[in-house]
Amino acid sequence: MKLSITYQESYSRGELLLRAFFGYFYLLLPHLFALSIFGIWGGIVQFISWWSILFTGRYPQSFFEFQVGLMKWSLRVNARMLNLCDGYPAFGINGTDEFTSFEIDYPESLSRGTLLLKSFLGMFYVMLPHGFILYFRLLWGMILGFLGFWAILFTGKQPESWHAFNVGTLRWSNRVSLYMGFMTDEYPPFSSKE
Amino acid sequence: MYHPIEQPEEIPVREREDAMGAYLMMFGALAAGLPLPIINLIASVVYYFINKDKSNFVKFHALQSLYSQLPTTLMNAGLIFWTLQILSVGLVETPFESFATANDIYWGYLYTTLTANIVYVVFSFIGAYKARKGLLYYFIFFGKLAYHQAYKIKIQEKSIMENLPPS
Repeated sequence: MKLSITYQESYSRGELLLRAFFGYFYLLLPHLFALSIFGIWGGIVQFISWWSILFTGRYPQSFFEFQVGLMKWSLRVNARMLNLCDGYPAFGINGTDEFTSFEIDYPESLSRGTLLLKSFLGMFYVMLPHGFILYFRLLWGMILGFLGFWAILFTGKQPESWHAFNVGTLRWSNRVSLYMGFMTDEYPPFSSKE
Repeated sequence: MYHPIEQPEEIPVREREDAMGAYLMMFGALAAGLPLPIINLIASVVYYFINKDKSNFVKFHALQSLYSQLPTTLMNAGLIFWTLQILSVGLVETPFESFATANDIYWGYLYTTLTANIVYVVFSFIGAYKARKGLLYYFIFFGKLAYHQAYKIKIQEKSIMENLPPS
């Protein structure tokens, strides 16, 4: 899986302030509403895919593409809300973006044993260890996000390492989501690197 | 006039999986976390409209799955309504005692609905299996109906010609 968010040499102060004061209304609310509707469908699709993997050993390709589209969409929104890039995120499963990129190969076959293992014990061997680290990464990411806001406001730039840290957290959490969403058999590494 | 029926080797795996998914939509209600009978029907309707233009094969299976859900959905809805009506008596008595007031027709209806659901689930699994194999599987009545709608060549109702050659 490859996830990246382009680091901009300079960020718009106007957009930063707009997102800070009105982002909830013009960005988060409409996208969250649409994403939650699509998310219900995503849940149904995931549930059905579980049965499909169990019986056929394959994640139906059109379902897989739908889930990837959903993840791309939420990445576009998250990137803006975390001030990782400028611009307004495109709506929809097939929406495109110049700053964010999310790629994953379609697995031709998936293990039934791994499916059952992650379904019944995933909470213990995936969610607990990864969730523990991600919790602290998210906390630190929020602090960096807050500091990044002021850095952009005064200098128009964001330290590259802060940007890389938050992108890394998104990459890490997306890897966990892919594994727990039955979309890959590859156990997510304890790393935020590409 | 009907479109030619595709043979299994002509149908890509992707279309087979999409056709199979139509039958697995019966689990939609469970996935949505709402055990209401109408949810699986909504899921199937959405699924049909998303997939109907992919191919005649997918359209046939999506339609057959949708149609075959209608009777059980209506029966389930009736059963829930009836059961809630009986349970409402339990607001003054205990819920267990309120079932003592249910007549034989209710119990007969309950068992009929349960049987219909089991039959539906079994046929859906067979349909899903056949679809995955690239085969057309016709349910009683619904199969024929779905076939006509999916494979019939639609004749243009009226061709409006506004521009005509000089007379």
